[in-house]
Amino acid sequence: MPFRKMKRYFINFFLFFCFFAIYCLLPTDVNAKAKGRCKDCHSMHYSKEGSEVTYASRQGPFPSMTIGGCLGCHGQNPSGAQNIIVQGRMRIPQIIHAMGNGDLAGGNYYYVADGYNPDYSKGHNVRGISLQEPPPMNIPPGFLESVTIPGGSGPSSWPSFRQLACAGTYGCHGNRTIEDEFGAMHGAHHEDDSAIDGSTVGKSYRFLFGIAGKEHKDWEYLAAADNHNGYKGDQTHASMSTISYLCGECHGKFHPHPNLGGSSEVGHAYNSLWRRHPSDISFAGVHGGYIGSEYQGYVQYNLESPVAYQNPAGNETAVDVDSIIMCLSCHRAHASPYPDILRWDYSKAEAGGGDTGKGCLVCHTKKSQ
Amino acid sequence: MAIVGGDCDACHNIFPGMMEKTHTGKAFQYVLKNEFCVNCHSNTTSDTIKILGGNRVPVVHSTVPPINPLAGGNFFYVAKDFGDRKGHNVDGITSMDMKFRNLPPGYSRKSDPSYIGYDPQKNLMCAGSNGCHGDRNIEDPFASIMGTHHALDKPLDGSTIARSYRFLGNTSATKGVTGIEDSGWNRKGSAANHNEYSKSIDLICTGCHGDYHNTEKKTGAWFRHPVGVPVPSRGDYLNYTSYNTDAPVARETLPAASGSDINHDRDSVMCLSCHVAHASPYESMLRWDYDKVSTEGRGGCNICHSGK
Repeated sequence: MPFRKMKRYFINFFLFFCFFAIYCLLPTDVNAKAKGRCKDCHSMHYSKEGSEVTYASRQGPFPSMTIGGCLGCHGQNPSGAQNIIVQGRMRIPQIIHAMGNGDLAGGNYYYVADGYNPDYSKGHNVRGISLQEPPPMNIPPGFLESVTIPGGSGPSSWPSFRQLACAGTYGCHGNRTIEDEFGAMHGAHHEDDSAIDGSTVGKSYRFLFGIAGKEHKDWEYLAAADNHNGYKGDQTHASMSTISYLCGECHGKFHPHPNLGGSSEVGHAYNSLWRRHPSDISFAGVHGGYIGSEYQGYVQYNLESPVAYQNPAGNETAVDVDSIIMCLSCHRAHASPYPDILRWDYSKAEAGGGDTGKGCLVCHTKKSQ
Repeated sequence: MAIVGGDCDACHNIFPGMMEKTHTGKAFQYVLKNEFCVNCHSNTTSDTIKILGGNRVPVVHSTVPPINPLAGGNFFYVAKDFGDRKGHNVDGITSMDMKFRNLPPGYSRKSDPSYIGYDPQKNLMCAGSNGCHGDRNIEDPFASIMGTHHALDKPLDGSTIARSYRFLGNTSATKGVTGIEDSGWNRKGSAANHNEYSKSIDLICTGCHGDYHNTEKKTGAWFRHPVGVPVPSRGDYLNYTSYNTDAPVARETLPAASGSDINHDRDSVMCLSCHVAHASPYESMLRWDYDKVSTEGRGGCNICHSGK
């Protein structure tokens, strides 16, 4: 073989080897199934060198033999500047951190966390992060008893002493028919979640049992109009797999689904004025019709006021008559810098100011004029 | 464990004073007590079964790297300068653990069936109230195991110390461990031929590490890895179908002979599913290197948790 040919083969092989090596060393995180060493997340006996360890002042033993419970992995350094922490072969989203411009799609509990100058109006008061809010906010606003949820029924009451948890009956993630938050999440992190269809906790959008959607691989860090979370909505209210239904499981009166608040609490699509701002309503259902409405002015997906889709793919750029308003169009799920966990400062949202493309005015385009 | 026979001197005449006459009913006042067990059950070669006075003697402590350590592991890994985390620091083999300082992690007095109880002021011994083998209601290791090597050891029903699995008799007031003893101490253990454990093996561990043996009925997730609970017949556990000596299970009902079957919902996870009793090459006396067990591997935790 001529030397030049051999050299070309060698260079090609070397390049291939380099790319392959880099690929192998990169954390693999196409889906959220936990990978890597067991020790990164689990401690078998809550014992290290004969002592019981604490994680950020939290004492165990921790359920599911986790190292520090949910926050042991997802709240590793609240005052740190990392919104995603690489641990072994896993990339772990941080729900509380102090990274500038690093808030993930759910927001950042930093704004509501005790010890960090919290403002309880800015987030959900989750056990382990914040103290329980005093009445009446110790119970979810708009709470309805025994509503139908994926897998069964929601709680028949919300005891006044019961603080919101990450998961379980009195939380958001996992199977909410199971009270124990770790029992509700059991096995989810190790499930094959390559298809998010809501059939199991592991196969549900962000482990929100029963909810469908498309998960952005970086939890919307540096997301773009064509690369974002794909939220599921349903104008017909024929399913419980929408992201807004999840919110409605606790805040029932705010959702028009007949299982929840229904039209009597929220109003009718097409032919009535709303009693409350609707969710899971497409622009087709607005009062007076879409054609000629201000909503025609919202044409490109805006991360500040995202919309849901019937079959979300996470790369939609167009907003049209079938795009669906959801709870997360205005709110974050965890906490935000603004009161009511809003995506923007409602106190500064102003009609007629010409301030287009921001806050409420992303959808209500004519009100900016 | 066969009754020991053969040449007395092989075991009893190797230390001064051992064959002297003593008072009836009292234990011999041997010299170098802490080393007596160790000397018979040690070897200076890598063989883990040696011949002594015509008897096959299981080697629990090798002074050179052992080949095919027995079921309990080999104290070689803790006797040398490998660190205390690889084995039980038994007196006569190695010095006191500098972290635990003789206090068993997770010790719970109420879980210790011994009248005397474990005394952290004293070293861990092979037998007796500060050890694992023999009658733990007797402090003196020799007295606690006296006569067992020459007593009838069948059936292995836990009724006496000698009739307890590997002389793990708990106490005179409690039943000993039952099981099926592999004649080669698992030196050549395989899926079909191996020790068979019953759930009673966990009680030996519980005696000193009671807090790790949580038997409370919980509705939620486990706080510590459970033992004494059946391998579930669901999910990834169903992939564990052939007995693996790297992750053995305890039988609900002991079979007539060892077998390779795994009976979900009946065979239980036990302490020895993950740990060895004496010492191993790995930290926490594990059967594998926990630091390297990964969801993408096959061994270790993945033997049971295959779906992860």
